[in-house]
Amino acid sequence: MSAEQLLSSVPESDTVIVADLEAGIGTLTRLPEGSVDTTLVIVEPTPRSIDVGQRAVLVASERQQGRITVVANKVADGDDEARVRAAFNDHDVVIVPVDPVVTAADRKGASPMDVDPEAPAVNAIAGLASLLAETTGT
Amino acid sequence: MIRIAFAGKGGSGKSSVSGTFARLLARRDRPVLAVDSDPLPGMAYSLGIAVDDHPTPDDVVIEGPEGGPRWVLRPGLDAAGFIETYASSGPDHVQYLQFGNTWGHFQTLQRGQHAWSQVVREMDPAAWNVVGDLPGGTRQAMFGWAKYADVLALVVEPTAKSIHVARRLQNISKAEWAPSWVVVVANRVEEDSDVEQISEALERPVIGVVPNDAAVTEADKLALSPLDHRPGPFVDAVEQLVGVVEATYDLDIQTPTNGTP
Repeated sequence: MSAEQLLSSVPESDTVIVADLEAGIGTLTRLPEGSVDTTLVIVEPTPRSIDVGQRAVLVASERQQGRITVVANKVADGDDEARVRAAFNDHDVVIVPVDPVVTAADRKGASPMDVDPEAPAVNAIAGLASLLAETTGT
Repeated sequence: MIRIAFAGKGGSGKSSVSGTFARLLARRDRPVLAVDSDPLPGMAYSLGIAVDDHPTPDDVVIEGPEGGPRWVLRPGLDAAGFIETYASSGPDHVQYLQFGNTWGHFQTLQRGQHAWSQVVREMDPAAWNVVGDLPGGTRQAMFGWAKYADVLALVVEPTAKSIHVARRLQNISKAEWAPSWVVVVANRVEEDSDVEQISEALERPVIGVVPNDAAVTEADKLALSPLDHRPGPFVDAVEQLVGVVEATYDLDIQTPTNGTP
């Protein structure tokens, strides 16, 4: 079963479903309208990634895929943050800093939370989760 | 002539490696056609080509014959003509063809898929060295979008996730249409054990070892090709990779007959 089939067919329940879609916008273009409550568009502070992110925001908007929040990942400095905010000035932007703990976890095949639950990137993502929980009432 | 396609997990560095590979191959006076089958522009940045979102006209294809492909190139337009008309010229005389540029981004891509398939299937094998960049993940590669390739190069970072995707992708070697050579390019390598980790996990030869190079990150942020911003260890490693491929394949088999830059 594809991600789009799963997300469009799962019955309403109290279970929170977190789906990690394929890179790019392929799955978003195939996802039936209104399949999700929230779309998180993850971008790095590079023109290439921002370009893809802007297209993803457009597709998600056109297809009414819930509230759209941009997550700026691997942000190293104020310039990086400003670049992303400028590109998505109509949307909420959550900043996740570049963090060697994440790199180390990736190389170990471990979750960043298990390597260091207090790592800056983990804290930023915890803040994002809290924000979503508050705004969606979960 | 060589036809090589780069695949791997999203973010593994396929576009940076493939774009740099294409330009370095072209610098050896080889005719190079860079093909990006991702509907999103990724390889263009690494080649140093401005992103062009203008869609190709709809009348490039017509409905195909009964029992055949749904859409075919219109009469009088063959693969060579399509490339000549719709490929962009880039630095080092690389010609660049992007699938996603064919029909615009949010319409159905079906017509474009058929045209793309016909172009890569029918293009003159003596005309171009083809360097392809597939979208991240396994979907497109598994569906046969790299059928044109003699070599499938899996770009792999020394992470469990990246290796996991590469393990799936290497199953392509069992397909009927499999490329003759499925190889590994280790990317963002920091120490020898990184290569050992990748090599042990995959059953394919590692033909390239590309070090982690901060200049590539800088180039990405500046929307520049790694060749145009502080070329260093990354570029040196891709140059070596080009040398390996060049030594393995006789790239002088036939004289280019079409569109030689």
